[in-house]
Amino acid sequence: MMIPTFFGISLVIFVVLNLAPGRPGAQQSADLGQQARNQDTEESYRIFREQFDLDKPVLFNTRFALPRASVLTDVEIAAGERPASAAEKIAAQNRLEDDGQYAVPHLVSIMRDADAARSTKVRDAAAYFLRLSAPRRLLHPFDRHPSRGVRAYNDAVQNEAAKLRDLRYALDAPEEEKRRVVVAWERWYDAHRDRFHYPFMDELRIFFFDTRFARYWANLLCLDFGVSLVNREPVLATLFSKLKYSLSLSVASLLLSYLIAVPLGVFSAVRKGSRADRVLTLLLFMLYSLPSFFVATLLLYYFSEGSDYPSLRWFPTGGFQSPGAAGMTTLGSIGDVLRHLALPLLCLTSGLLDVIRADYVRTARAKGLPELLVIGKHALRNALLPILTLLAGLLPAILGGSVIIEYIFGIPGMGLWVVDAIYQRDYNVVLVVELFSTILVLVGILLTDLSYAVVDPRIRYE
Amino acid sequence: MIAGGSDVEFAVTEGREQSSYTEVVLRELRKSRTTVVGLWCIALLVLLAVYAPLLSLDQPILWDAGRGVSMPLFPALFNRLLFENSIDVFFNLLLVLSPLYVAVGLFVRGARARRFGGRAKVLGALSLVHLAVFSAVAPEQFGPLPNPLHRSSHVVAYRIRADELAAAGQAPRAIFPLHRYGYRETNPEESVQPPSRRHPFGTDTEGRDVLARMIYGTRVSLTIGVIAVAIYVAIGVVLGALAGYFGGLIDSVISRFIEVMICFPSFFLILTLAAVIEKRSIFHVMAIIGVTSWTGVARLVRAEFLKHRELEYTQAAVALGIPTRRIIFRHILPNAIAPVLVTATFGIAAAILVESSLSFLGIGDLSVASWGETLNTGRAEGKPWLIIAPGLAIFFVVTVFNLVGEGLRDALDPKLRSR
Repeated sequence: MMIPTFFGISLVIFVVLNLAPGRPGAQQSADLGQQARNQDTEESYRIFREQFDLDKPVLFNTRFALPRASVLTDVEIAAGERPASAAEKIAAQNRLEDDGQYAVPHLVSIMRDADAARSTKVRDAAAYFLRLSAPRRLLHPFDRHPSRGVRAYNDAVQNEAAKLRDLRYALDAPEEEKRRVVVAWERWYDAHRDRFHYPFMDELRIFFFDTRFARYWANLLCLDFGVSLVNREPVLATLFSKLKYSLSLSVASLLLSYLIAVPLGVFSAVRKGSRADRVLTLLLFMLYSLPSFFVATLLLYYFSEGSDYPSLRWFPTGGFQSPGAAGMTTLGSIGDVLRHLALPLLCLTSGLLDVIRADYVRTARAKGLPELLVIGKHALRNALLPILTLLAGLLPAILGGSVIIEYIFGIPGMGLWVVDAIYQRDYNVVLVVELFSTILVLVGILLTDLSYAVVDPRIRYE
Repeated sequence: MIAGGSDVEFAVTEGREQSSYTEVVLRELRKSRTTVVGLWCIALLVLLAVYAPLLSLDQPILWDAGRGVSMPLFPALFNRLLFENSIDVFFNLLLVLSPLYVAVGLFVRGARARRFGGRAKVLGALSLVHLAVFSAVAPEQFGPLPNPLHRSSHVVAYRIRADELAAAGQAPRAIFPLHRYGYRETNPEESVQPPSRRHPFGTDTEGRDVLARMIYGTRVSLTIGVIAVAIYVAIGVVLGALAGYFGGLIDSVISRFIEVMICFPSFFLILTLAAVIEKRSIFHVMAIIGVTSWTGVARLVRAEFLKHRELEYTQAAVALGIPTRRIIFRHILPNAIAPVLVTATFGIAAAILVESSLSFLGIGDLSVASWGETLNTGRAEGKPWLIIAPGLAIFFVVTVFNLVGEGLRDALDPKLRSR
């Protein structure tokens, strides 16, 4: 049951991934990448592409059979030899860059023919794209400790790339020099010809596996989620360090709200319709409607150390621990964390109370009040079932709600991380957080299902 | 002939039953005082949204500085420099057309209305015309149509002009809106001012008047709530109806899909989607909320359809050979829609909350007057007037919709009435 659901989840995330913006800077640079593109977006795109192979086709790769005519058209458009709008020009450039190694044989022959036909613009464009596409890609470029084989391969790739880097010319270089470069490219291609010719089995492999979809699944199965843009650390390791904060926040707020809400629910069920019950209902309803970020901001304004009212500076302004927490005793550090978490917990809990209590009251009433009074234990046990069901439904809400609370109180958990990642266009982080928060919910639902069996022995799982 | 006749008769009985059901529900709604108050509050919010320019704008309704009387406010309503966003254009158009709506509502009734097929139909046609005009005058986002009404002409700063003239001893005869500030007017010299007589709610970091932003924020919140919910109700109803009515393979595919979507913490999903969209407008935010929150509606509708498809009236409809589409949408859906209405009302409150959370995080559309954005400014600046006003505004709207939702739930479901 879990596995198909997980498959579906990954599929949805794959769809979202493909909605992600393509090549950045597509709006600005119409010339052959000569303008300085926005360095940051370029870099974030490169890391993102490295991880998710955005230059590859989505489902099936037929680029091993790329027709020469289409490459020629694109080169001519990019060189400005064919009338085309700026958007078409950019599209042609992007196609050529994406085709990468598959376009190399055609680019070489186009360059040679253009040279023979003295159409210098096409030749120059072909040389430009050849220089981009010919070098091989590094394996695991962000891995700090590559294995020996990978390192050897990467060294070879880098050596070759360094040599290829010299095979270029300035646009205003003398014609003989350009000639020399063209001849050097031809020679290089002749030497490496078999790298660009694929036997049938290779074609089959490329067709099915050199695609975004296949690479995405390979990455998922290897638990390879790439590196973060900010510190080039693997995303997964950072995620686990963040999970500590988010989980403690959400579990604590859940426990707290159940501890408060269930007694309140019992009270409401017993004293149904009394004035106290009505006041309580109204109060909790108001708490439920209060936006948590409003409460949080207000609390932070009045009761934190930055408050304008010195007598109210009870709590720290944010964070999970004080800077000097390492030197404290166990009890002291627990107290410190509690002092930091008091306000966030208050905000997260206040919204949940009404939901849990309302559910409890409804169940308790359905079971009948006398039963509740007489045999409290049995009633409580029966009332636990719908509460557990509710728990599974609350989990996503709590995880989502903690984003904004973490943001306001500066708790370095998943939520704050993902908000920062969105500002910095760190897509690897955004996607890994999305995936893992979903997995957390999935696990939560599973645990809920299992705990049914504990609470109610009549429910059994095969 | 016979088939046609019976069809008409069906329609008539259906209509009568539906109206009587509506009457029952309305009667139940009126019983609860809080719900009535809530409904009046919603009406007030709608009025506030529509007539915002009459309450707060730097353009006089009437202006006479000795050179003839002019009405600068009305051309200003369609001036791109003052109202850039489509939401504003929509509500401004509604403002201009609202006398027409009122007139139709008041005078086209009885026999005159019946000639056109009932008052509801006339109003419906009118709003269709309104939408058509809107899509013609709305800004670029809506397509390639040239834009006859929406111009960018010179904006006169009438407030300053009036002050100058008054200082020179020639005070102009003018009727201004109650509050003389627009929500987009920036004024670097007056940034982060505490509440004063000129700015009852103070100003934000760019010197924009907070009261004006609160007033115009109603437009954004109401639009977000209604459109986002409309999107996900549509998705949920169609998917749920298909799953519940047909069952079998369709049902299991859709149900699996629902299960998958439930696992996504919706706020994370919304954040992720918002992150991958490069130029976010307020309509993206609506669409994102719409496509991520439909699972609840779909499950409800599916359950209702599972129940109703076994009932006699559905069997009868099938036996009569009525087309499936008609059975689903005309026969079962009206009977199954009640719980969806309740969910939708709560959903409006939730959507408004999500939008303000997004703009609070700075991931919304910065060109509209969003309450969450002002609140975030208040958090960053640590100024209470930038926190309390937008916070209470959000709280008020959310509470009102939740109240009406509760009332509606109690009215629609007799079993819950005791609560």
